[in-house]
Amino acid sequence: MKRAAIVFLSIASALILLSFLPGLRFGPVLFAVLAVAFPVALIALGAARQGRLGPLTVPLTLLLVILETSLVGMMILRGHVIDGPWVAGLPLAAAIQLFGMWLLPLGLVALVYAITFDSFTLREEDLGRLERLTPPEPTSDREA
Amino acid sequence: MPILAKPIVIATALAYFVVVLAIGVWAARRTRTSKDFFIAGQGIGLLVTGLATMSAAFSGFVFIGGPGLTYRMGLSSLFIAIPVSFTAGLLCWTVAKRLRLLSEVRETFTVPDAILHRYDSRTASGLAALAVIVGTVGYLGAQLQAMGILIEAIFGTREVLGVWSLPAAMTIGLVVVLVYAIAGGMVAGVYTDLFQGAIMVGAAVAVFYYALKSGGGLAMISHRIVSSESFGPSFLDPLGNAPVYTAIGFFFVFAVGNLGQPHMLHKFYMLDDPRKLKWLPLVIGLTQTLCVLIWLGIGLAVPALVAAAKLPPLVRPDEASPTFLLNFAPELLAGIVFAGILAAIMSTADSFVNIGAAALVHDLPRAMGRRITDELFWGRIAVLGVAIVAAVFAHLYGDLIALLGTFAFGTFGAALAPAIAVGLNWRRVTAKAAIASISVGMGLNLTLEFLSKQTFWAALPKPPLAPGVLPAAVALAASFATLFVVTWLTDRRGRAPLAPDVAAIMEM
Repeated sequence: MKRAAIVFLSIASALILLSFLPGLRFGPVLFAVLAVAFPVALIALGAARQGRLGPLTVPLTLLLVILETSLVGMMILRGHVIDGPWVAGLPLAAAIQLFGMWLLPLGLVALVYAITFDSFTLREEDLGRLERLTPPEPTSDREA
Repeated sequence: MPILAKPIVIATALAYFVVVLAIGVWAARRTRTSKDFFIAGQGIGLLVTGLATMSAAFSGFVFIGGPGLTYRMGLSSLFIAIPVSFTAGLLCWTVAKRLRLLSEVRETFTVPDAILHRYDSRTASGLAALAVIVGTVGYLGAQLQAMGILIEAIFGTREVLGVWSLPAAMTIGLVVVLVYAIAGGMVAGVYTDLFQGAIMVGAAVAVFYYALKSGGGLAMISHRIVSSESFGPSFLDPLGNAPVYTAIGFFFVFAVGNLGQPHMLHKFYMLDDPRKLKWLPLVIGLTQTLCVLIWLGIGLAVPALVAAAKLPPLVRPDEASPTFLLNFAPELLAGIVFAGILAAIMSTADSFVNIGAAALVHDLPRAMGRRITDELFWGRIAVLGVAIVAAVFAHLYGDLIALLGTFAFGTFGAALAPAIAVGLNWRRVTAKAAIASISVGMGLNLTLEFLSKQTFWAALPKPPLAPGVLPAAVALAASFATLFVVTWLTDRRGRAPLAPDVAAIMEM
């Protein structure tokens, strides 16, 4: 999964640059789809252990789906504020922006991070290994 | 507004300044070493770290610039803020753990320190310090500009001082920031952040309530905006009032660029126990989300009030927050909210003057093979210099606070995010790749920003980009692409073996 994230980030950064050139018909769509996936790929890169995402595979896939679906929804609804449906006092596109891209990922990411922290992100064995690496007498630069 | 017309607002704001200065004086007595000054002695708990990270990230940019930008371009502007839903997790998974662990085994005060340890390259570390200084001047400038507008609104200085009002108001704010930043360093910053963070969250929730109430509820606000000639339906269309390149560009820059923000990354060094990272995304994400309510509330309420002729159209969009508070919030709440906004601005400003000072007296000299003997003393002198340069720059830049903030955020993100975020997670990234990425990110952002804004030389071309593309987005993507390309090119020949402790941390 780590390798996949690196390959994606390499290709996506080049394609995003390409999408900025003037006159490309699908430039904005290409940029938007890649830009929304980019941070999720960075999470995958940082979260992977020995190249694997383990218990994070499903939640991160879900995060990607939520963000991309919200983006596609907003693009489809572009220009349909008055004639489109309204939700919770807002046009549907605005509701998707606030609930789909903001509130839904907030709960998902914060809770998944906490739930998987001890078993996957930072294990006791990591801290034991760190303790062995720590210099016995930390440097001090007391100046007063 | 005549001076003293709102005595409770003025009294509350003054009381806030007194509390902040008192914290600065108290913190000065606890600041004895450069470790205290730059990373608060690495003894900060979860709640303080979370609130400090949130309040350092959220600033005049969010509280003044955000509603101003929404007034100008509608809900498209919210793409700057909504990545807060996952950026705390992104930060913790990608960089926070490794930065915190690195500070356990190596003396690590700053982001350039981390780059030095990861790449064993003084050039990469020195370039990172340069990027920190450039971005600091922009970001600190945005805070001082926001503080000036707020002080103008509270004390009504424009009617007395005319064109000198904003510079005078900025100077007042600058002096207060300097007093406690010079005296207390990061100890003052962090403990002030605890006080400030609590005020910010409470103020944002309260003002959101009053914003909805003043506009007759969310549905009424939306309908007024949609049927208004000045704003119209596109205002409430997330991709309606700005090109996709701009709207999603905000999302891209403010989500990914987070990974290069030194004022946030610094906070991870301060956490007293790495195990406490577990709840950090929840604390940061929740408090940031509550704070963004002020952006959403005022950003929607003020256009609705203008549409309903309850407010005249704003002369400057950045006046949206002060105008709303002075006209539609109870006086006591307005005072508390003004204090909350001042709190946000001050905490970010304080973080930046300290980070800029650290880059000047700690990182740059070391990159040149020197070490300043009394970093504490010279750090305080550097704080003064950085703040004055930032104030002059902000006055000359003359654009919306949010746009000045976007430039600064983009500089940090483009220069530092790839080298930190990818470099700490992929062993193959070489020092040459980091040097190239930092140079391209910083250089391209400055060049594109200059070319797109400058009006002095008509012969200079505008950047060859599609309409609406953000310079910061180009620089960020280019910096990532450079890192990957140079890594592929130099991996076999140019990669020095990693130090065992750094390699071990990258495996955890």
